[in-house]
Amino acid sequence: MPSSLPPILDLAHAEFISGAVSINAASCRPGGFPALARGLGCRVAEDCNSVNVIFGVKAAADVLDGVRRSGALSVVFSEPSTHRTLQLKGEDALVLRLEPGDADRVARYRDAFVAVLAPYGHTEEMVRALLACPADDLVMVRFTPTSAFSQTPGPHAGEPLAGAR
Amino acid sequence: MVRLESIRDCLEGVVPGNIATCAPDGTPNVAYLSQVQFVDSEHVALSYQFFNTTRRNILASPYARVSVIDPHTAAHYRLSLQYLRTEDSGPLFETMKVRLAGIASHTGMSGVFRLLGSDIYRVLDIERVPGETVVLPPAHRNRLSSLRACSEMLCGAADLEGLLSRLLAGLARHFDIEHAMVLMLDEGGGHLYTVASRGYPSSGVGSEIALGDGIIGVAARERTPIRIGHFAAEYSYGRAIRSGLEQSGVSGIETEIPLPGLPASCSQLAVPIMACHTLVGMLYVESAQELRFGYDDEDALVALAGQLGAGLRVLQHTHEGGEDVAEPQPSPPPARGRAVTVRHYAENDSVFLDGDYLIKGVAGSIFLALVRDYVDKGQTDFSNRELRLDPRIRLPEISDNLEARLILLARRLVERAAPVQIEKTGRGRFRLRVQRPLSLVQA
Repeated sequence: MPSSLPPILDLAHAEFISGAVSINAASCRPGGFPALARGLGCRVAEDCNSVNVIFGVKAAADVLDGVRRSGALSVVFSEPSTHRTLQLKGEDALVLRLEPGDADRVARYRDAFVAVLAPYGHTEEMVRALLACPADDLVMVRFTPTSAFSQTPGPHAGEPLAGAR
Repeated sequence: MVRLESIRDCLEGVVPGNIATCAPDGTPNVAYLSQVQFVDSEHVALSYQFFNTTRRNILASPYARVSVIDPHTAAHYRLSLQYLRTEDSGPLFETMKVRLAGIASHTGMSGVFRLLGSDIYRVLDIERVPGETVVLPPAHRNRLSSLRACSEMLCGAADLEGLLSRLLAGLARHFDIEHAMVLMLDEGGGHLYTVASRGYPSSGVGSEIALGDGIIGVAARERTPIRIGHFAAEYSYGRAIRSGLEQSGVSGIETEIPLPGLPASCSQLAVPIMACHTLVGMLYVESAQELRFGYDDEDALVALAGQLGAGLRVLQHTHEGGEDVAEPQPSPPPARGRAVTVRHYAENDSVFLDGDYLIKGVAGSIFLALVRDYVDKGQTDFSNRELRLDPRIRLPEISDNLEARLILLARRLVERAAPVQIEKTGRGRFRLRVQRPLSLVQA
């Protein structure tokens, strides 16, 4: 359900979470058991209101199931070089098909992540394997961030972003 | 089910892990993990550093999901965990604290990360996440066959000195470990002294480290192996030794022997040498390469240290089974030249040769007794047995470490190129080779 409130994210946030950052998402399964999966790319709507995170259907089956049941999703984005980390939470998440251009976005994300991790000794082969997924196995989860927190390690970890509600 | 011990390489923290938890209202949370520590085949420990959403959630509902990734193959696993308890002292906590310090300095996070506790979780399930993996070439070494070969070398040792040199040679030959040292626990129990080393410009034999100082001292105090893959400044032994000696109150006399060590040490593994629940000493290995030692190396060296501990104990007591009969030795050539001043300080049994520090403590009092008997009676041949019974040396009754002290003393004399040397003449027997007259001075 689209929010009528102004977006939490600004363009700088949107650029950050769409870049070569590590993406991990959690949902909640019945009984309060958490589900966890790795994201394969992210696209932010032009108005910054909604965020689309791409997953592999098989690898993220539990997270997708949790999303379908509750709509609640948390996604954490972290930049390996700076440890700058941002967590977004939403309550209206939907599992959707990819839109045109999204599969290319996944490929570009993979290339960018390989380049970012190379200085840390991670081989291209390893990073590509980690983020590999057949195009017909990709799926997208769209949600409206209703809260956002900085999780960069340090004294300010866990503080809401300015403008977060 | 995938077994935890078969995915231990994923727990080295090379690729940061993640933890997912749920709040009581069903809001999920995901956070990065600094450490997932293997405890045993059914338990892991996670570092508790901040009171945050993860902590709140776990205290409300004990279930968590953790993802870990093999840094070489990209194999991806998810662990379903149940929180059991938090430890804020003891071997596991100390191990994780040292490792966290290494991770923190490696990631530029020194001063940010502080371990509040080790959270122990039961592993309910391990799931292999579908995906591609990289096929690796076969491992360069099989740790079990390395352990066997090294163990067989230790079995061939006839005395303590042989045991130590076989150990260091075996580590190099069978484990490619070129930088290693063995430290023995002092009889008083407060510190460790280096008795053998390999791969350093100076041997450091005789150097000391206090229990609780640096990675070696902490591992010794907690009786637990500690392995880190990144240099941790706060656990650097170079710094630790100075503070340890300052505390021990060695006043006004320069008796510090620098501990050996790699200037750019990245990977370190300190393993207690135990014999029947008693700490005997420490085995320490290191490398300039990051993440050089894995869980398998730790397992192998713990096993080897067990054998070493038993060997040290057995060989220390070989005198009870008798010693070689003194064979007639040709008379040593008379000492010639200028007399060497042997100065002894009773306060800590330190000995100086012509003003240069040689040794202190029990080894110092052994040397004093030998020199006194040489000066007073011209005695040059000695047996371990008579030293053991010598009231001047004041050896503790159990685990006297006499042989280790003699090795230490003999090596220091060689290193100082002293005009007095100790030469083995048989099992439990040795001879003093004196090249210059000795003048004993009590300070």
